[in-house]
Amino acid sequence: MTILSVNTLTKKFGGLTAVSDVDFEVQPGEILGIIGPNGAGKTTLFNMLAGSMQPTSGTVHLKGQNITGMRADRIARLGVARTFQITSLFPALSAHDNVRAATYRTKKTGWMASIFRTATYRAEEADVDRDAMAALHFCDLAGHADDNAESLSYGDQRRLEIAIALAAKPALLLLDEPAAGMNPEEGQRLVNMIRKIRDNGTSVLLVEHHMRVVMGVCDRVVVLDHGEKIAEGTPAAVVDNPDVIRVYLGREAVSA
Amino acid sequence: MMARFLPILAVAAALVLPLATSNTYFHHLLVLWMLYSLLALSLNIIVGYIGELSFGHAAFFGIGAYTAAILGMNFGFPGFPGLLMAGIVAGAFGFVIGYVALRIEGPQFVILTLGFGSIIFTTTNYWVDLTRGPMGISNIAPLGVGAGFELSSALDYYYLSLLLVVAFAYACHALMLSRTGRAFIAVRENAQLAASLGVDVFRTKLLAFVVATAVAGVAGAIFAHYLTVITPEVMSLNYMVAILIMVIVGGRGTIAGPILGALIYVGLLELLRATGALRMVIFAALLTVSVIFLPGGLVSLWRRFADRSTVRTARQAQVEAGE
Ligand SMILES: Nc1ncnc2c1ncn2[C@@H]1O[C@H](COP(=O)(O)OP(=O)(O)OP(=O)(O)O)[C@@H](O)[C@H]1O
Ligand SMILES: [Mg+2]
Repeated sequence: MTILSVNTLTKKFGGLTAVSDVDFEVQPGEILGIIGPNGAGKTTLFNMLAGSMQPTSGTVHLKGQNITGMRADRIARLGVARTFQITSLFPALSAHDNVRAATYRTKKTGWMASIFRTATYRAEEADVDRDAMAALHFCDLAGHADDNAESLSYGDQRRLEIAIALAAKPALLLLDEPAAGMNPEEGQRLVNMIRKIRDNGTSVLLVEHHMRVVMGVCDRVVVLDHGEKIAEGTPAAVVDNPDVIRVYLGREAVSA
Repeated sequence: MMARFLPILAVAAALVLPLATSNTYFHHLLVLWMLYSLLALSLNIIVGYIGELSFGHAAFFGIGAYTAAILGMNFGFPGFPGLLMAGIVAGAFGFVIGYVALRIEGPQFVILTLGFGSIIFTTTNYWVDLTRGPMGISNIAPLGVGAGFELSSALDYYYLSLLLVVAFAYACHALMLSRTGRAFIAVRENAQLAASLGVDVFRTKLLAFVVATAVAGVAGAIFAHYLTVITPEVMSLNYMVAILIMVIVGGRGTIAGPILGALIYVGLLELLRATGALRMVIFAALLTVSVIFLPGGLVSLWRRFADRSTVRTARQAQVEAGE
């Protein structure tokens, strides 16, 4: 079944149409890239999909369920996790606690059970720890488990964001420019990570400027410009598209 | 290891503390300490755990006190069920006020809580038919179970409130080790990220607010039974600020902090009794100094001290690893 289906999605800010009649679908096990120049509407599109912004019109369906305009936390509970373009963590908490907090969606025992330390509670807390360590391991952060998030290097922080999103065990993961500010080596590590995420059964929607990352990892790419979808297809087909070349003209990024 | 036994040692010390003297005034101060500890621990859920600043907390303490007093006076309601009712009524007010105010974030929320607190204070002052106005309600019956067993001495009240403080402190400790507690902290640290992980930010804050206000209500009810007199004064600006001072100077977001803060408040109040109105200035200065130089409160001093050795060993390890 189609994981995500977006139909004529539109967002207007007063006179500015940031996203205009955009359609696309994400299939299970697919990595879909969304590219486009600055201000193309990529983040706005993400915010609408994740529920942190209300669309002006159009619909979003998650596994057949209409989630258009739903609150962010409800969409998250349905299995969508996201990262933010501007690093967003729990800065004062340890990396381990950052990820532990993210297991919220997949667990259910509450406060009362913790007061009486029931068997269910203890079993679930052990799960929380295990899930959190697994997510840290996956993102090469196990060695930093006890470090405060704010004390991590920039690249580590960006990978911690992904670990947080993964600890929520999403069916669909939205990544907003995860490679921004990373050096080539870190970018390559990220590409491998995104592939592994997909191989573990999570579909990925990836907004990215780094063409190297997009080309290396995406199954298909949607190109936005001024809020409109101007092309869609395999990475190889998209870079040869004259409209895309025009939009990116003068940017060495395309050929990189 | 030390951290494990420290709470047990503290409770043991608190149990024998009043036996040190038969001075009833000292016992009276201990009761105040415990009741303020309960109150400060409840405000700590809002200020420390979900990270919202509420000025209205004294109002819920007052609502609890008045609920117990009015139920006893007008309906002959017995003490212990009255405590429960006080918690329920204060929690219900907390629900309504939280429902309105918690949708609003930041400074506006703070102003709203101040507004609600003032409205409740003023209403209590002027609704003479129900509350007897500024005169207050006196001759409140002591807490008891029927006629046979009554809490009569300050010592009785001390042990009752100590029991509640220990129980509530444990509940807070358990909270911080639970999924719900992690949601509280997530909301405090980064509400947008918390929502993206499935946490209903508004509901989480509302839960915290209702629990905190209900517990404040119970503390207020015991306060009323203990003093046998209650006046609107307990909801005045002085008290609103006093509770915040206890939480922030002691150390928000911790369990020892608010209890220590309550001790310092009660202690300083006694030491500064002679200074009269100047007291409030001193308290305000204390709050300011604490916020600027010790944002983690007094308990953070202990933590700094305790952490120093572990930090050093971590650094040592780094050096050895050739950092
Ligand atoms: N909250 C907002 N209010 C008004 N205009 C907005 C708002 N958010 C975004 N915009 C505008 O919408 C357009 C699309 O912005 P958006 O952030 O979605 O672009 P983007 O493709 O993510 O760009 P970048 O690559 O720089 O991240 C821009 O012109 C931006 O100024
Ligand atoms: Mg963007």
